[in-house]
Amino acid sequence: MPVIVKRWYQQMSLCLSSIVLAACGQVQLPSGLVYCSEGNPESFNPQLVTSGTTIDATSHQIYSRLVNYSQEKAEITPGLATSWQVSDDGLSYVFTLREHVSFHKTRHFTPARDFNADDVLFSFNRIIDPLHPYHLVSRTGYPFFQSIGFADLIGYIEKVNDYQVIFHLTRKDASFLSNLATDFAVVLSAEYGYQLLAQGTPEDIDYYAVGTGPFQLSQYVKNEYIRFKKNPVYWGPTVEIDQLVFDITPRSTARIAKLITGDCSVSALPKAGELAVLDQHKDIIIDAKPGLNVAFWAFNTQKPPLDDVRVRRALAHAIDKNNILDVVYNDTAVEATGVLPPASWAYSKNLSPNEYNPEKAKVLLHQAGVSNLSINVWAMPVARIYNPSALKTAELIQADLARIGVKLNIISYDWSVFTQKLASSNYDSVLIGWNADNSDPDNFFTPLLSCAALASNNNRSRWCNKDFEHLLTQAQSVSTQPERKAFYQSAEAIISDQVPLVTIAHAKKVVLKKSNITAMQIRPYGGISFAKTTQAIEGTE
Amino acid sequence: MWRYLFSRITLFMATSLVMVAVLFMASGQFPVSKAYSLSGVQYPTLEQQQQIDQDYQLHDNQLLQFTAYLRQRLSGNFGISSNSQQEVLEELEAVLPASFELSLFSGFIAVFFGVPIGVLAALGNNKALQRSILAITLTGYSIPVFWLGLTLSMWFGVNLGWLPISGQINLLYEIEPVTGFMLVDTLLSDSSYRIPAFHDALLHLILPAVTLAVLPFTLVVRITRQAILNVMNQTYIRAAEARGLHTAKILLRHVLPNALIPVIKSIGLMLGSFASYGIVVEVIFSWPGVGSWLVSGIYQRDYTVIQAGILAVSLLIIFLSILIDLLHTAINPMSRKELYASN
Repeated sequence: MPVIVKRWYQQMSLCLSSIVLAACGQVQLPSGLVYCSEGNPESFNPQLVTSGTTIDATSHQIYSRLVNYSQEKAEITPGLATSWQVSDDGLSYVFTLREHVSFHKTRHFTPARDFNADDVLFSFNRIIDPLHPYHLVSRTGYPFFQSIGFADLIGYIEKVNDYQVIFHLTRKDASFLSNLATDFAVVLSAEYGYQLLAQGTPEDIDYYAVGTGPFQLSQYVKNEYIRFKKNPVYWGPTVEIDQLVFDITPRSTARIAKLITGDCSVSALPKAGELAVLDQHKDIIIDAKPGLNVAFWAFNTQKPPLDDVRVRRALAHAIDKNNILDVVYNDTAVEATGVLPPASWAYSKNLSPNEYNPEKAKVLLHQAGVSNLSINVWAMPVARIYNPSALKTAELIQADLARIGVKLNIISYDWSVFTQKLASSNYDSVLIGWNADNSDPDNFFTPLLSCAALASNNNRSRWCNKDFEHLLTQAQSVSTQPERKAFYQSAEAIISDQVPLVTIAHAKKVVLKKSNITAMQIRPYGGISFAKTTQAIEGTE
Repeated sequence: MWRYLFSRITLFMATSLVMVAVLFMASGQFPVSKAYSLSGVQYPTLEQQQQIDQDYQLHDNQLLQFTAYLRQRLSGNFGISSNSQQEVLEELEAVLPASFELSLFSGFIAVFFGVPIGVLAALGNNKALQRSILAITLTGYSIPVFWLGLTLSMWFGVNLGWLPISGQINLLYEIEPVTGFMLVDTLLSDSSYRIPAFHDALLHLILPAVTLAVLPFTLVVRITRQAILNVMNQTYIRAAEARGLHTAKILLRHVLPNALIPVIKSIGLMLGSFASYGIVVEVIFSWPGVGSWLVSGIYQRDYTVIQAGILAVSLLIIFLSILIDLLHTAINPMSRKELYASN
């Protein structure tokens, strides 16, 4: 062998080993936590969206709400409002606001004053008042608030003094406080708003967000990451994490791989089938809780032949939910008999579910005089908490329907295009779902199936039923839980009977995390929160 | 030589022009309005619409439209991304360095290891070793890169947990982009975790770079071997041996410089497949470069991003092939002679 080659190899191995030695040396990471999230947020203001991805990235990180809902205590707890009183007629809510709360100081904004009543008025008037300078800054509207008829519900908001505001309602609504505790009802800074208005860049308010939450937005690089810094003057309990990074990783396998290699400490939305890989990694904990969500198959009740209730009933009897639970959810979900999941306090076992019975389905179709039926179904292309694979679900439904002689065409678009087109298209049916924003049972009915939701395009069944609507109003106007529960049970019965949608499953909410992450709670509803999370310092390698 | 240089530059211009023309025609075929596919503004206001019509001369004939398109693209106006609402040029500038870093590092691995192993395969005394080198390189050449990438990440990432398999760096390190090359930027940053950050970036680079290096590496080995065997049969080598020169000296002074000429040429020919392999590798390892940017643009039907991505990649390939052509001519006395003979 030529000497030169030999000498070269000696040098090469020396060089390589030094690189490897250097690389394998002890690596001490800067303090902080990386969360592998599943997608890009649409905006940094939860008022404008209903997408869970955006809520996760903003609501509990950047902002605070007037009131919060505590899962352990099962009651509304103080947020930016320290206390509140409801008038006897249930029409006015007086909130006393927290003092000495400071907004984030960012590159774009330095707060000159503390949080006060002006900020509350600014934030909520933006939603309800069409003349508010920021009302039209949102191109997407305020979908959650529109679907619950928020603008009609609130007569006006009155500022008593700097630390007291009164919400005057036009009718009694038992779910009002719960709705204020949702992830959408955040408080923005009025001072920042007017500063941006003067600069002529109002749309920045939803992008370079400023709030009072535990973390402040530091940097966002689309498709890559969102970086948050700890808010040094947070009004709540001290935040333990110095830095919070959302690592945007759309592929579920990549998220799990990053968790294994230590590039992230917490990861969202794993696919049920991929969890087996984690058995050999003892330092990763699978945290699963029953979730407040429901996956369903909604029919466009305004389009023939689906406007015929017999056809809808036939389709409901034709699908085998157990098969879907087994194949799509790997048995990590429970079968849905109604819209409300078992984790909700208003749940009780549905007495007359539309059971799986293909023979009955055929008879019903025959009665309706429909033959050679061919319909399309829109299936979401991405995994959501309530349905890890809508496409697979659609394929199973396709096979079930073929048995009763109905042809099903599956349609799918990229996620951002999907929701957009859904609002404008004349679809037959769609496979989608709902993840609750708060623990109030109304959250499963009004935003999904009310006539108001029809106007804001959140009512995927395009269904508006007077009796149903009446029941919801009654349920809102009484305040004791047993009374409300009875109303919601009647509402469930109407849904079972009229079949605007077929509910499929209630999935568990699963989060993967490293074992050194503690005190992180998974709430069954709404977005993820890192404020109370602590991280044990890892030993040296 | 100057004349040759001039002809090559003209060739570059002409090829690029054809490339842009093809892109222009393709963007007319997208299933959206032309104004949207060229500017990326989906719902333009009235003024924006007028501005777009004026910029791209949308009311004129195809030829004028093409010149307007060319003018916009040359002045750096690539439109905005309909997905992120950011300037496409800005996004392109952010992703290009990452791709360069990955391909330079892989190219370096391929040549650094490929040439000596090629020499070994040609000149070593051990026949079994030579055969096994050839067999291994042939295997490496035949393995599809997506399979290799997934397998390597399975072994070294998931099962052994040695190396990270996704991204450029652990995101807890906050590195200010200066050059866009993560390895350089970590060293340039003035934070206290400079060195650990460099280690981390290096670890993140290893698997994607090795995956991408396999194809050029196997080619370099095989071509180096072939070229050396050719050169060794030349009379001037025998003359050098007759003069009693040391083997090492013959190898360094006479064999390698001549043998490397075909290697350079083959690298030029390989650029196209190297680029497409690069795109696959970037997607597999979530490397934030042009490739994964382009692929996500395609998934989300971001027409301006698709155009800019294709334009950037193809212009780079055209430019580099012509550069390698020039280099080849400059260092190869044979082709220089041909050049002058034809003058």
